[in-house]
Amino acid sequence: MIVSNRLLLFASVLLWTSGFASDEPSVIHLADQGSERIPLSTVAPVYPAIAQRDRIEGDVQVCFNVDRKGRPYRIAVRSSTNRVFEKPAIRAIRASRYVELPKEKEVPGIKTCRTFRFRLESVAG
Amino acid sequence: MIIRQFVLLLVLLGSISDVPASGQEDSQIKTVIGPSNIDLADGATALRAGNAEDGVRLTQRGLNSASNDRERVAGHSNLCAGLIMLERLDEAIVACNRALEIDDGHWRAYSNRALANVKLERYTDAQRDIATSESINPNARSTKVIKSMLLDATDPVAPSITIDDRRKPPADDRE
Repeated sequence: MIVSNRLLLFASVLLWTSGFASDEPSVIHLADQGSERIPLSTVAPVYPAIAQRDRIEGDVQVCFNVDRKGRPYRIAVRSSTNRVFEKPAIRAIRASRYVELPKEKEVPGIKTCRTFRFRLESVAG
Repeated sequence: MIIRQFVLLLVLLGSISDVPASGQEDSQIKTVIGPSNIDLADGATALRAGNAEDGVRLTQRGLNSASNDRERVAGHSNLCAGLIMLERLDEAIVACNRALEIDDGHWRAYSNRALANVKLERYTDAQRDIATSESINPNARSTKVIKSMLLDATDPVAPSITIDDRRKPPADDRE
């Protein structure tokens, strides 16, 4: 697999080791290099306990504006495969921050969108 | 370990049957006099409070004076739950079997027996009991928790979250 240059792999944090299932999810963050707003701190959503219990996976896309200070607002779910993931996704966006814009720069009016993919990976040896 | 015990207690609390009340019923008036078998009712209360020893003792006493099949089924199923709490798993399965001999549609007894089988690592039997319990009561939370315990034992998973900020996930990433 060759990954194109415009794709940045920000973080790939493995919080579990094989053979041991933890409540902490592993998190991968993918982003375009040329995004209007640069993520400063990206908070990963909590994997809902009920979804984990019932082995439910899903995707949620959340769109929002980012103010000059880098705070997301007007956060709304654009699409989701299961409602159980929507609240954790919104909470994660609310807690995330973007780099503050300098005063001379205009705040872009377009919405930023972020997709969360909730997956359960087998840890069986 | 403490969390596992807490989860086990929560699961079992959902699987403890109410003891049938004696009373009169018609289409308009419902008079509930109280539990028909005090020992069984007290046993269920003790089990719900997490007091397995008293729960088992009272339930066994209640079973000795059980007057009908409903009481016997509830009593044996609750006894099964109490014995699981005490880790007396083989005896628990016997108690669940007795409940199911009287009423083979009692989802709580299947659910309790499934938990005992999970703890005994008899996963095929547990799977069968869970399937039967779900077919009778598809929405039972305690059965879902036991199913999750079975899956954790046989097919453990870890959560993984991908945060994708790309405007369009490129189709040409893979070559």
